[in-house]
Amino acid sequence: MARGGESPILFDIFFFQQLVNGVAIGLVYALMAIGFTLIFGVLNVVNFAHGEVYMIGAYAGLLAITAFAPPLFVVVLIALAAGALTGFGLERIAFRPFRRFRDEASLKSKAMREATLLSSLAMSIIAREAVEIIMGSNMQPIPQQYLLLQPVQIGPLTFASGQFLIFGVSVVSLAALQWLLNRTRIGLSIRAVANNPVGAMYVGIDTNRTIVATFIIGSMLGAVAGILVGLYQGTIFPGMGFTPGIKAFVAMVMGGLNSIVGAVACALILGVSEALATNFIAQGWADLIAYSFLVITLVFFPTGLFGAARERI
Amino acid sequence: MSALLEIDAVTRRFGGLTAVDGFSGVVRRGERVGLIGPNGAGKTTLFNLISGFTPVSSGEIRFDARVMAGMKSFQIARLGVGRTFQNLRIFPNMTVFDNVSVGAIGAAGHSVWKALARNRSAAETVSAGTWAALERTGLTDLAGQLAANLSYGRRKYLEIARALALEPELLILDEPAAGLNDTETAELAGFVEGLNADGTTVLLVEHDMGFVMSLCQRVMVMASGRKIADGTPAEIGRDAQVLEAYLGTEEGT
Repeated sequence: MARGGESPILFDIFFFQQLVNGVAIGLVYALMAIGFTLIFGVLNVVNFAHGEVYMIGAYAGLLAITAFAPPLFVVVLIALAAGALTGFGLERIAFRPFRRFRDEASLKSKAMREATLLSSLAMSIIAREAVEIIMGSNMQPIPQQYLLLQPVQIGPLTFASGQFLIFGVSVVSLAALQWLLNRTRIGLSIRAVANNPVGAMYVGIDTNRTIVATFIIGSMLGAVAGILVGLYQGTIFPGMGFTPGIKAFVAMVMGGLNSIVGAVACALILGVSEALATNFIAQGWADLIAYSFLVITLVFFPTGLFGAARERI
Repeated sequence: MSALLEIDAVTRRFGGLTAVDGFSGVVRRGERVGLIGPNGAGKTTLFNLISGFTPVSSGEIRFDARVMAGMKSFQIARLGVGRTFQNLRIFPNMTVFDNVSVGAIGAAGHSVWKALARNRSAAETVSAGTWAALERTGLTDLAGQLAANLSYGRRKYLEIARALALEPELLILDEPAAGLNDTETAELAGFVEGLNADGTTVLLVEHDMGFVMSLCQRVMVMASGRKIADGTPAEIGRDAQVLEAYLGTEEGT
């Protein structure tokens, strides 16, 4: 890299800074993509209300901040709780009524998939409109003292404090998820249902409860992503979940639909690509990256970049 | 011998089709019972009724004197009814150990919610149950393998191991010998006999007549959803109705 002179170093610093920004936003996509992937894994359906779970996480955090100004980690806990509750409710309202798990034919039917696709889409519109009516459609600023934009200087590099929080919370969440899936009964149940729901229920797994648990876990991760981004970007609004929802969806598809590792890896690729792309193209065009990736994946890698082995959760 | 499974005038209709038609039968504790019949006789439907996959249209099924109406499959499994499938339903992308662990969780019978709270001793129970079932089926050495990488024969044993981890009183096997060669079939017969000797009651559907007749102490014969015969293999072999049911059908064996 070092070609002598000053400019290569400056370029490298800028490059590195963009890389860090990209990883931070990629981790946010990853947290959301996991929710998509988990739910797709157990039910084979896409939860189109996942972006609104993210939005609700952010609003729950903001409400807590304006109501009683708790310490930061309490804000995160409240967002997690809001996510859990939203996930639970969402499954009850938009998914369970369309599921007849006793019957394998309807379990695999397209009709069920399309019904929940529409019901979750409906719930997402209702949630967005409801928040708009209650909280207003304009941008809500996050109080100054909670903003995570304090510059942190490390050598020649400057980071925002929020990036550290995003790193920390994401890494802890991903580790906790791996532990949960591999070391606990509930995780084993989730994987079993993802592998073969009928086989799972014949060995004593309560598939309904497992599905509820999946929604709760996935939504907790989505909601925490929402509050993190809110604190980092400084404003929240009812439609904030849409774009990251699309990006996370793309990451899930790129990762092969069922693979958590694949989804996380692709979310990071996506985040970094977007951040680096702003070097070459205008900011507003960065969204194009995700859509191009989606098209490229669907055309050239129909089973996802990591989905060749059709691995499941 | 006391009755473990009682099937009392059970009928199951699918629209206009009566798949199981007033079937009654008993499996006593400690027995090895075979269920045979031509294709489409309703055997698998009957299994699905017993294991709670499909509800009965009328009649009653009792396990250990408990009426199973309204129970879900997972609850019936936790009561102690293990089951394997004609087309295997293992968890292909999980290790052999994890596959069997899922059954051991069912045996522990704890709800998934409690699982997070109290873990230590329960985890040991699950692990002990898993290893016991693996050893039973000779899969100990393959514990770390991905289930998808096992041979077909091993996968069959894996499914049995998973059911055994439930510590079932009744083990229901749906065509266990299908796809196995003669040596493997003989091996399987010995294995099932061993399980039964250790106290597991066995009910199986099988097309391999040699397998059924040599392994089972009693055989029930089904045709067009009804039970047409019930007796020892020798009695079944002489039964005129049974011969009639099988003659002229597509049944080869």
